[in-house]
Amino acid sequence: MSVRRERNGPIILDGTCTVEDAEPLLQMLQQRPAAEIDWTRCKHLHTAVLQVIIAARPALVGPCADPWVQQWVAAKPS
Amino acid sequence: MTPLHEQFIVEARELIQEATEDLIALERGELAAERIDRVFRAFHTLKGSAGVVQLPAMALTLHAAEDLLAAIQTGRLGATAVTIDLALACLDQVTDWIDAFEARGALPDGADEDARAMTERLRAALPKLASEQQAQAHAAGLGRPDALPDWVSRLFQSQRETIVRHIEAAPTELFALSYEPRADCFFTGDDPLQLMRQTNLLALEIEPREPWPPLAELDPFACNLRFKAIAAGNRADISNVFRLVPDQVRIFPFPATALGATEAARPDDPAALVRAVLAEQGRVLRAATTAEDLPGRVGAAARVATNSLRHMRRVDLAEAVETASAEALACADAAPLLSAIDATLESLPPKKQNGTGGPRPMAAPPANKIRDADRPAAGSLRIDQARVDALVNLAGELAVAKNGFAHLARRAEEELGSHELARAVRREYEALERLAGEMHSATLQLRMVPVGQVFRSLPRLVRDMAQKLGKNVALVTRGETTESDRTVVDRLFEPLLHLVRNALDHGIEDPETRRAAGKSQTATLLIDASRAGDRLVVQVEDDGRGIDSAIIRRRAEQRGVLSAEELAGLSDQEVIDVIFAPGFSTAAETSEISGRGVGMDIVRTTIEQIGGRVAVRSQVGIGTTMRLDLPTNISMSRIMVVEAGQQVFGIPMDAVSETVRLNPDRITHIKQNDGFVLRNRVVPICSLAELMNLPVRPRGSSDMRLLVVTEATGKIAALEVDAIRDRLEVVLKPMQGLLSNARGYAGTTLLGDGRVLLVLDLKEILP
Repeated sequence: MSVRRERNGPIILDGTCTVEDAEPLLQMLQQRPAAEIDWTRCKHLHTAVLQVIIAARPALVGPCADPWVQQWVAAKPS
Repeated sequence: MTPLHEQFIVEARELIQEATEDLIALERGELAAERIDRVFRAFHTLKGSAGVVQLPAMALTLHAAEDLLAAIQTGRLGATAVTIDLALACLDQVTDWIDAFEARGALPDGADEDARAMTERLRAALPKLASEQQAQAHAAGLGRPDALPDWVSRLFQSQRETIVRHIEAAPTELFALSYEPRADCFFTGDDPLQLMRQTNLLALEIEPREPWPPLAELDPFACNLRFKAIAAGNRADISNVFRLVPDQVRIFPFPATALGATEAARPDDPAALVRAVLAEQGRVLRAATTAEDLPGRVGAAARVATNSLRHMRRVDLAEAVETASAEALACADAAPLLSAIDATLESLPPKKQNGTGGPRPMAAPPANKIRDADRPAAGSLRIDQARVDALVNLAGELAVAKNGFAHLARRAEEELGSHELARAVRREYEALERLAGEMHSATLQLRMVPVGQVFRSLPRLVRDMAQKLGKNVALVTRGETTESDRTVVDRLFEPLLHLVRNALDHGIEDPETRRAAGKSQTATLLIDASRAGDRLVVQVEDDGRGIDSAIIRRRAEQRGVLSAEELAGLSDQEVIDVIFAPGFSTAAETSEISGRGVGMDIVRTTIEQIGGRVAVRSQVGIGTTMRLDLPTNISMSRIMVVEAGQQVFGIPMDAVSETVRLNPDRITHIKQNDGFVLRNRVVPICSLAELMNLPVRPRGSSDMRLLVVTEATGKIAALEVDAIRDRLEVVLKPMQGLLSNARGYAGTTLLGDGRVLLVLDLKEILP
């Protein structure tokens, strides 16, 4: 599992986030909508996970370690 | 190979089989509306499963086939030979893939290519509606510059500097592309970002296709994103990146100067998405195997299902699913939720055509009337064949072991002289015998399968062959539910295939010949299975030209199968039997379909190997009937125990015609051979002891002789034995190890006293 939550801290995306990570991430955000997401260790992001992030619009702790996401998604908030 | 994969393979094959049957019935115009719905559902489920086990090429191909079926469903295309052929070809492709997937756990190397080729074939058959033509033109990158959507201009302006700098640094073509991954793309293993990453991006915009629902209702498994981008590079490279999702992407050549008219986005079909999601949930639930993971699966499936139903604003349906999920959790069984999901699927509007037609009325599809009886009933189990075989073997051993008690009773009587004890043992033996017998037949029932399994692939075969040969053939099958042992049914397939091929190729005439002969232009091929006592009888009957015995005589002589003298001694009916002789073929020239002169003798050999017989009856101009007479179970064999040369042997009862006690004065000596006359036939006598190279017991000239008459070899013969002992039902074991090459034996079995009995194969020992 590349998604985990620090107690009262940010939700951390670590390493390669696959499609399997989308649902747990969504559940964490549903439980704590104000949680920040730290993606500084996220090397690769699957579309499904990105979709959760786009839909939930959480505060993001960057930069994202996935350079493509950093360039095309993070740097240009849609 | 995980259990999920195994399940997938089994179910996929069933779905392919069902769809094939329905497609062929559809072509004949039987219950067309229901059939096409069922075919569509089968393809759809298959596509969903392919997604779950991550076979995108298969999912893509099936998706394209769905479009074709949808066009038939809505009447835009007819269910003609051409369209049905295409759908069947698609199933053939999928079958190949499934075979490869089973063998190697992956699709073959060229699968992507094949998928694309098949998709193109399917797409090419679709009627071209104006809007579709345009969409296809765009997909192919042929869009006219004036058709550029207006977002291109906006996106271009937002990144103008970057883009201009890029072009100035390295002049290149520009393309605008819009990529809307299908909502269920995650299920098919797609990662849309991964595709975008492979393009040389200059500008990118990601937006939701539908407004985001509240976070609590977001479905993380449904893709709701649209990618709009401007990319540099050449068309071939970009098309290549999106080669597996050509229906989801539009590529516009983008001369930076031409920014023009707009184009409406393709209307989406929320019902299709929800259907797909629901179907997946059904699959997830059905895959649940252990009690521990059931609550998790039920919870997750219900959540996803209700979310997706709410998404399409069907709160009523969502609530029904919720209620069912509570019920499922309460009784720890997924069934209530499954049936709720299935019911919901039924009540959703049928899939809409892309970009055409308004919403169709919400009429529920007609209830499934056609063949639900054939589906495995609730409460049936799928059991590994090996386990059933193990059980059958054990029950067989038990039946043999109980024979030991009969022996014990005899010893009690002979050695102890105790009638009392002998009788008690015999009583126990009888009770045990009854139970062991019941158990044995009950376990054998486990191996019984309906013979219809073998018939199922015939409609397709007959259809394709008839088409190829230009003949009109109506196939009628009867008695599909007749049951027989699994082994018999499995082995039946090949001979039956030969017979059907022969009937179509040689027996049935072309329509003109039939009309000239005053017959109906459409020939009838009847395949009929029935039970006769404990035998299974399968008949293949055609109303074709029949077999002309004169032609057979001529050809048999030409080919040297029989001599002219031998032929002269045969009746017309006996001559027809010669078609089963090795090396005989009546086809004037060998054809692709049948007739390399090996077919019929293989039929006879295969059928005889499983203890069956083949007979042919034919009348010129009227037709031919092939009759296969098969055992319904081959696990127990009845044998006769005989003694010769101070040894005991078993002879299979089905080889024995009768036993004769003969007064020696009836024996005539013909040269060195003995023979006698039985009901006007001369029967040669062979001594079993001599045949087995055992000492022959000297006998007085007036001793009665004991003969076992057999016609196992096709010719009548009598085996002389010293004594005939019991008749037994035994489990015949094939010869194993060093003995497996020993000729003359059908197998071995254990006798009640623990001795091994060799069972003879009379065909091999008789001269």
